[in-house]
Amino acid sequence: MRGDKKTKQLAKQLFRLSLANGQVSPEQVAGVLGYIEKTAPRHALPLLKLYQHAIVTELAKSHARVEHAGPLAATTLAQIAAALTKKYSRPVTASAQPNAHLLAGLRVRIGSDVYESTVAGQLTQLASAV
Amino acid sequence: MLPLLFAVTEAAHEAGVIEKFGLDWKYVVIQTISFLILFGVLYKFGIKPTIATMEERNQKIEAGLRNAEETQVRLTAAAQESAQLIKTAQLEAQKVVDEARKTAKEFADRQNAEATTRAADTLAKAQQAIELEHKKMLNETRSEIARLVVKTTEQVLAKKLSESDRAAYNEAATKELTAL
Repeated sequence: MRGDKKTKQLAKQLFRLSLANGQVSPEQVAGVLGYIEKTAPRHALPLLKLYQHAIVTELAKSHARVEHAGPLAATTLAQIAAALTKKYSRPVTASAQPNAHLLAGLRVRIGSDVYESTVAGQLTQLASAV
Repeated sequence: MLPLLFAVTEAAHEAGVIEKFGLDWKYVVIQTISFLILFGVLYKFGIKPTIATMEERNQKIEAGLRNAEETQVRLTAAAQESAQLIKTAQLEAQKVVDEARKTAKEFADRQNAEATTRAADTLAKAQQAIELEHKKMLNETRSEIARLVVKTTEQVLAKKLSESDRAAYNEAATKELTAL
């Protein structure tokens, strides 16, 4: 993703305009996209890529992807979302994604953070320790 | 010689022998004078120069002999000096040879010491390399065994874990993650 300094600054400004109460607002995002479509600034494509990357990164901070092997109750997912909301001090949603390679347990990804408690992870740690 | 001649003459007069042999005093005197003249001439021009030449030759021979003796003495001295020089040269040569042997021995000792040190270093390095290779092999073997054990365990657990086991593990994992 390439862009000059002005494009990066504009992307940051547009990203800040997309937030409402510290959260990404769909309405604000729609408004920003409409502005870009209307004004057609220079280097529109790099600007859009930078803006998309910032929005995706911010959304990833507010969404936890829970990989699991075996059954996972909706209440468990809600418990995890609540715990992460408390930990990060912002609303965090959670979605489940089955992953049989984990054998058993959970792996939670939120933003660039990963929390893991799986049989596969413990076996990998055991192999590394040996 | 004259007394002898007079004696002979007197004896001949006494016995009449002179007459028997037909001697004439006049001829005898003439012969005697001729002999004396011849003897004087021979003595002056033959015998005397010959004696002088022989004297001179003898002196030369004596001088030659003296020179020969002196030469012999000098030769003996030169021989002794040569012997002394040869002896000195031999001593110096022996000294040089001894020093050369000593230097060669020291060089050989140094070479041996260096070779021994190099051999010891090479041996130490080889031992270190062997130990490192051994450790590396052990680590690789350990890693491979661990990988196989984990792989086998994963396969066994994938087959043997029931849904209830997974659910229980997930519940424990949830408690662990929510406690962070």
